[in-house]
Amino acid sequence: MQKPQKLSPPKRHKISLTKAIGLILLSLGAIALIGSILYNSQISAFIGLGLIFWGVILTYVQTEEYIKQDLLDATTLPSLVTLNQTILELNYNGKALYLPPKYLKNPEANKAYIPKQKDEKLPTPEQIQEQENKLFIENPQGILITPPGAELTKLFEKTMETNFTRVDLKYLQQNLPKLFIEDLEIAQNFEMETEGNKVKVKIENSAYKNLAKINTQLSNLYANLGCPLSSAIASALAKATGKPIIIENQRISEDGKDIEIEYSILQEEPTKK
Amino acid sequence: MTFPLGFWDISLILAITAIILLITSELLSPYYGKVNIPINKKRLKNVALTFSILFLITVAIRIISIISTL
Repeated sequence: MQKPQKLSPPKRHKISLTKAIGLILLSLGAIALIGSILYNSQISAFIGLGLIFWGVILTYVQTEEYIKQDLLDATTLPSLVTLNQTILELNYNGKALYLPPKYLKNPEANKAYIPKQKDEKLPTPEQIQEQENKLFIENPQGILITPPGAELTKLFEKTMETNFTRVDLKYLQQNLPKLFIEDLEIAQNFEMETEGNKVKVKIENSAYKNLAKINTQLSNLYANLGCPLSSAIASALAKATGKPIIIENQRISEDGKDIEIEYSILQEEPTKK
Repeated sequence: MTFPLGFWDISLILAITAIILLITSELLSPYYGKVNIPINKKRLKNVALTFSILFLITVAIRIISIISTL
């Protein structure tokens, strides 16, 4: 019996309308410039330069790849709802702890630990390292998860061309506003203040406003691990400070546009076994 | 067969282009401008700065030529 052969469709190069217009303008400009040299005409030289200018602009300054915001919400929400339900049903009452790299064998990884009980003591780095690849850990009892903003933190590092383990809190304070507003265009305004062991962050009109608006559905997750944005900042803070971070408080305005987050840098030494 | 535009014509074109691009890039700036236009703002800013630098170079060349003729 003959196996059915897979036919691959012929490859076609797609040229976008903007690129096509850009290339046409470039060619017309070049023709006009050559004509201006041949006939010694100033007018055709100006026309040629103008056409080349717009051709170069249209070819070089092209539209970035954007996706609709509804698509972002639709793909992110189900996993957040599942995570929220998991934490709620398994009854993990403790506050999520964003772990610094010293707690993990892989320093690039971003992990958060949620203790079973509310007033559980801090685990030691050795305790976490022993059970790093497990989801549910026994000693101390808790859950070790990849937080919702883990990949976002990696994107921050990639965009800033740095590793947050090599920077300090001051660096984050100086550079995160530019990253949020200019580089990634996540928010229209970003403020970060530090007061002792507290870090306060204010985000205005973020791209995640629709997800933030439905915080009633994700109340447990948001109160504990935070929304994807606050989670990403917490992971960055944990890496930069080298200390565990908890989200003390997160306030979201009714329209979801303004988010105020208060982080706490845990100073106390973990208890030894 | 000579190119019909002089040095000053090129300098003027560069100045006008640089002004147009700098104003556009400022108007589209994510800090206080219109942010809903999906365009690569970083590249636009780079192009605007390149044209401005080219214009400044033509100005510098002119200044040097004036000084050297004194």
